Amino acid sequence: MFDWLADTHILSIVAYIPLVGAIFIIAFVRGSDAVRVRNIATGVAFVDFLVSLPLWFSFDPDGELFQFRESHEWISAIGVRYEFGIDGISLLMVLLTTLLGVLAILSSWTAVKERQKEYYVFLLLLQTGMLGVFMAMDFFLFYVFWEVMLVPMYFLIGIWGGPRKLYAAIKFFLYTLAGSVVMLLGILALFFFNQDGLLGHQGMGNEASFSILQFHEIGAQIPAGLQFWIFLAFFVSFAIKVPMFPFHTWLPDAHVEAPTAGSVILAGVLLKMGTYGFVRFSLPILPDATWQLLPWMAGLSIVGIVYGGLVAMAQKDMKKLVAYSSVSHLGFVMLGLFALNGPGVNGSILQMINHGLSTGALFLLVGIIYERRHTRMISEYGGISKKMPVFATYFLIITMASIGLPTLNGFVGEFTILVGVFNRSWVWATFGALGIVLGAAYMLWMYQRVFFGPMDNPDNESLEDMNRREVLYILPLVILCFWIGLYPKPFFRILEKPVDYVVARVNGDSVAATAALPGSVAPTAPPVALAEVEE
Amino acid sequence: MAGMSPQDFLLLGPEILLAALGLILLLWGALADKGAGNRACSTFAFLSLVVTMIYVTVQHMSLEGPTRILADSFILDGFSFVWKIMVLLAVALTVLLSQRFVEDGGYRPGEYYSLLLYAATGMMFMASGFNLISIWISLELMALSSYIMAGYFKRELKSNEAALKYFVLGALSSGVMLYGMSLLYGGTGSIQLEGIASAIAAAESPSLLVVMGWVLLVVGLLFKVAAVPFHVWAPDVYVGAPTPVTAFLAVASKTASFAILVRILYQGLPGLRVDWQIILAAVAVVTMVWGNLAALTQDNVKRLLAYSSIAHAGYVLVGVLALNEIGLWAVVYYLLAYGFITMGTFGTVILLERKSYAGETCEDYAGLASRSPFLAAMMLVFMLALTGIPPTGGFVGKFYLFAAAIQAGWTWVAVIGVLMSAVSLYYYFRIVVFMYQKETTETTPEPLREPALAGAIILCFVLTLVLGLYPAPFIEFAKTALLPLP
Repeated sequence: MFDWLADTHILSIVAYIPLVGAIFIIAFVRGSDAVRVRNIATGVAFVDFLVSLPLWFSFDPDGELFQFRESHEWISAIGVRYEFGIDGISLLMVLLTTLLGVLAILSSWTAVKERQKEYYVFLLLLQTGMLGVFMAMDFFLFYVFWEVMLVPMYFLIGIWGGPRKLYAAIKFFLYTLAGSVVMLLGILALFFFNQDGLLGHQGMGNEASFSILQFHEIGAQIPAGLQFWIFLAFFVSFAIKVPMFPFHTWLPDAHVEAPTAGSVILAGVLLKMGTYGFVRFSLPILPDATWQLLPWMAGLSIVGIVYGGLVAMAQKDMKKLVAYSSVSHLGFVMLGLFALNGPGVNGSILQMINHGLSTGALFLLVGIIYERRHTRMISEYGGISKKMPVFATYFLIITMASIGLPTLNGFVGEFTILVGVFNRSWVWATFGALGIVLGAAYMLWMYQRVFFGPMDNPDNESLEDMNRREVLYILPLVILCFWIGLYPKPFFRILEKPVDYVVARVNGDSVAATAALPGSVAPTAPPVALAEVEE
Repeated sequence: MAGMSPQDFLLLGPEILLAALGLILLLWGALADKGAGNRACSTFAFLSLVVTMIYVTVQHMSLEGPTRILADSFILDGFSFVWKIMVLLAVALTVLLSQRFVEDGGYRPGEYYSLLLYAATGMMFMASGFNLISIWISLELMALSSYIMAGYFKRELKSNEAALKYFVLGALSSGVMLYGMSLLYGGTGSIQLEGIASAIAAAESPSLLVVMGWVLLVVGLLFKVAAVPFHVWAPDVYVGAPTPVTAFLAVASKTASFAILVRILYQGLPGLRVDWQIILAAVAVVTMVWGNLAALTQDNVKRLLAYSSIAHAGYVLVGVLALNEIGLWAVVYYLLAYGFITMGTFGTVILLERKSYAGETCEDYAGLASRSPFLAAMMLVFMLALTGIPPTGGFVGKFYLFAAAIQAGWTWVAVIGVLMSAVSLYYYFRIVVFMYQKETTETTPEPLREPALAGAIILCFVLTLVLGLYPAPFIEFAKTALLPLP
């Protein structure tokens, strides 16, 4: 099905539909006509989602590692190419992004009342930036999208955010920018090593290139000393994004101040870029350094899990609680990643999706109740399950998904991660399990305080349950939570090859990694496929 | 030493033409009945610059390889061609930015615009200067014109102060430079760059005279590009000078000064590269650090931009000291991008100025996004470009500069550079915060009503994006300027 897609520019189309929509809104819609702006933005995001759906059906899990590739000359002087392509990991991230994009816009219909034209324009621009990050196969191109995306996010927090929005927005921007520029130096070091070498290290003598696959290829030959520094450069950038302890301090501020849609995208997609960066770059390109720094990485992940969980437990503000729970959950994802084996990486990537779904949904739900009462303090609520039964049900399902109840998605991810982590070290696995217990504690405790008990706050008497639009835009997330919980096979199937590839690379098994590259599994594929990648 | 021939003067055609046009403009302005109109004079100046640009291009294409003229005083090569085009572009944009200022102040347009043309002539000579005397004289031609322009608000105390400061400190630095040149001549027996280079190469170790000479010369040049610790004049002069002149100083004058800095270091002092690399590295680092840190607390936009322009000189120095091919064309590319970005930024400042100095504090930008969204969006792009965020020319330029530093092994300089450019986000975004996130009682939009000014801003905006999205042709252009590396 949809095989003809491979020859179109489908990825570019998916990536730029939001950009075109944003330009259209800027040029042709008057800002005073808020309803029109809103409808067009919703339509654009929805169309983008629909256009991205065929990717799922026509992606061939047995085919080449990277599919739907596009490649054009861009800056030939330094070998930069405009190159898009997705493997299974990117595919899931792209679909998550287009889906959450629609939901984020739907959730803003009534929540955002000021400067709506600019708001939707920034949301759409953000969408393009994020999609580009997951599709780019050229490191330079990746970096461009990686930074471009910060600008609309800055404005979403800084204009439509809460009382401390100015502080939160600039803190978010400064933190992530400081990380990115250091990564830039790492990219440059790789670039020069691929050519003539640098800092006294003999280079590979290849043509100037920023191709990510090319870097994968030479990665194992980079001397350990150089790998160490490049790893640190990447680490700063990705760890801030994830965020790993102790680089997490921007996150609670940004989350609490951001409008609902901003939080959803921040938690659902932006944080995943950090973990995606580790999977895509740090692990396969810098295997020696990864092993060398493994104890540190695992240690920081564990501290993140426990610390995030404990701080979440102490929060009085629901949004802040969910924000700190993200620190904990992402620590879990990182721990799975650094198990450096099949189940660990598999589970960790699936958990990235799961976290996007369940935390995205949690922020949407908190947004719904905030819109009604304009407070997120847990103490303001109590016993509202009687007033809002549908809301309470939704919230319960998502809470269960988040804490990893079997039949829901969180369980599958966490279990797979634990299997992988246990293979690496039972001590790590113990801490991981502790994180799950903590997660259950703070989530259930919040649920209890908000939904059960006596309703002693008269302001809650007039609460209305969710309306049809709200029910509709959370429903897809709930369905997905059940789908992954009950039948995760298609997801694991898609992840199989890319995960094998990453694990083989990081374990220095370049033969196996090469085998995972295009074509060599399918017996009919010509053996020249590898050469094509290297060109 | 090659002799002089009458044909040499033909090769100086573009410079002679521009100087002549400047004189004609001055006479026209003085002799015409009630003084020629502002618009007519600025159009004349603009067209003169465009014609000169075309002449320079045609001349460059007709020449085969580097050509020395007037007893090796000047050289016409790819380097001089590229930098001439850059300074002419910068001056042409300054002309577009100046219309309103001349109009509001009631100044004699013939006088003002002819000064710009003289400065441009000086800068063209700087780009092709090949011996110390010709370099110094062309530098002074530019500097003297700038001193006058800096004080053009005749009745404003701040402007007088700026001009005087600029003049005194500028003269001092020119003196230091000239002294250095004389010592260098004493030590090497030559005023011609190649002669100096070969004399230094022949000596086993440079004599004390030569060392003092080149250090003083480099100090003078660093003063002209406003690098720390020779930057103290810049903030006061930038604030006091009329804004179009500030833009001129920040872009045209700085670009031309970099041209002679690179020319002297690469072709006159290649034998001493190890020494001047260290000095430039130290200067580049303190310039980037201090320029950015000092800008953090500024509330006056022109002062903020002054410190930012100091910081940018630091980034460019990183490319100069890398001493590799990427570094050399990165310097050109960066100055080109920086020129458009800065011109656009000052253009926006001018547009917001009511009378003389109003419109200069960050508060004046409050709510600009709701008053005139298009102008605010352009200013946002300029601020992003100055920070070095894609997809703008500022990003691509910085990328190459730091790539050059990494390749040359100056990793620590690159690390400081990128971190400082992250810091710079904070102060550039002060303006953005006011534009987008602060409310204002003012509701009148700022119409892009003057066609010249609006055109210049829009042109800079478009080029800033083009330089970021499609850099290939501009890289080819920058590569024309490659000099033989020492």
